Amino acid sequence: MTNITFAQRTYTRSKGQQNTFGDFTCVHCGRLVQAHELFSGVRNRNHCPHCLSSRHLDLYAAGDRLAACKGRMQPAALTLKHDGNKYRCDSGELMLVHICDDCGKLSINRIAADDDNERLLQVFYASQQLDSATCAVLARAGITPLDARQRELVQRRLWGGK
Amino acid sequence: MSNTKTISTEQRGVIIQKNNGIFTVLTETGKRNCSLLPSLRRKSGGDLAVGDAVTLDAAGQINALLPRRNWISRRAAAPMPGAHTHEQLIAANIDQVVPVFAAANPRPAWHLLDRYLVSAESAEIPALVVITKFDLASGRPEGDEIEQVAAEYRAVGYPVLLTSTLDGSGLEAFRAALHGKRSLLVGKSGVGKTSLLNALEPGLGLRVQAANAVTGKGRHTTTASTLFPLAAGGAVIDTPGIREFGLWDVDSADLAWFFPEMRPHLGRCRFGAGCRHAEEPGCAVRKAVTDGLVSPYRYQSYLKLRYDP
Repeated sequence: MTNITFAQRTYTRSKGQQNTFGDFTCVHCGRLVQAHELFSGVRNRNHCPHCLSSRHLDLYAAGDRLAACKGRMQPAALTLKHDGNKYRCDSGELMLVHICDDCGKLSINRIAADDDNERLLQVFYASQQLDSATCAVLARAGITPLDARQRELVQRRLWGGK
Repeated sequence: MSNTKTISTEQRGVIIQKNNGIFTVLTETGKRNCSLLPSLRRKSGGDLAVGDAVTLDAAGQINALLPRRNWISRRAAAPMPGAHTHEQLIAANIDQVVPVFAAANPRPAWHLLDRYLVSAESAEIPALVVITKFDLASGRPEGDEIEQVAAEYRAVGYPVLLTSTLDGSGLEAFRAALHGKRSLLVGKSGVGKTSLLNALEPGLGLRVQAANAVTGKGRHTTTASTLFPLAAGGAVIDTPGIREFGLWDVDSADLAWFFPEMRPHLGRCRFGAGCRHAEEPGCAVRKAVTDGLVSPYRYQSYLKLRYDP
């Protein structure tokens, strides 16, 4: 078979597996995760609030469930969502960067209200020792991970205060 | 032709229409409206389909069903969720299945196409995909998308024709593809199955209606399956619009085999033939999808059919 480029449709060809949008058990830490907006403060529960891991399920758009990879997506770094169109280290909402263990796909996700702040801080500290290859991948995607200079900023965003 | 004509010997014929227990049979001497011999009704459950070869007794009753070469059937729509359902024959002894989809009004339901194609593959019948009303989408983003989807299915091995009865595009290719074969047209109501047939054989003058302007859905104008012999050779079975098409007698363990692009990867998974190609690590089919060898949409259809055949 020849290799075909599969682009995103203006409307999906399948409704996919709708049941994957509800509560779920994290396949990594095994804990039950409530997907309801009331708990997470976000409409699309993307990752486990306890271990912050995710799964590579979406291909073109959030919720399309078209990815066949289904690998574990590890939290790799924190970044800031600029009000404009790029992720930069100056202002904006704190975001969690995931990288797929199997295929290396990058994903940037909102932090939910019930995410474990201590675990987020651990991700931030761990991201200071990212290997050069991962840093290069993030740079190519236009993502600037928060560095040690922004530690206070991260703490402010997680626990509040000035 | 009169039904009271006396037949001296047993006649053979082909069912060309089925309507409320009355079968129109095409014999050497013409069309005859026949009923089913009670003993055959008990034996077969009255389940004969358009395209079936039968024999008629002297009284003009169908007394035997000749062996079928193949047939297409679906799971009959259940009256309520969880209710018992049964096989519903659509047609028998056909050379190709022609799933018909409209480029717009109603918009294409691609997962339904995969259902038709899996059904055709399981019956080992070749398929030809026809997109109608392409004039409504041509030059628009929807048209580009349809052309890309058509390229995907062509790459899998299914011929895809883009047609329009308004400007006549693609009709000659469609006519050539039907030549000498008995083809079964299937598709949702309003996609233009009967309009295609009218365009090919203007003398038929079959009744058609425009799709609903507001909803874009069809009006179920065709109400019975009918076989029409074509002047150029071959025949077409026109069917009423099908809203849902549940697979019948397709084992979920064999489902991946009915996706031709997945076949080269079957048996290469870490769990061999026992792999369901859903969550298993080391799955060759999932790797083929991530490598761009299998369409993610087709893979999604596979998963959907596996859990909801």
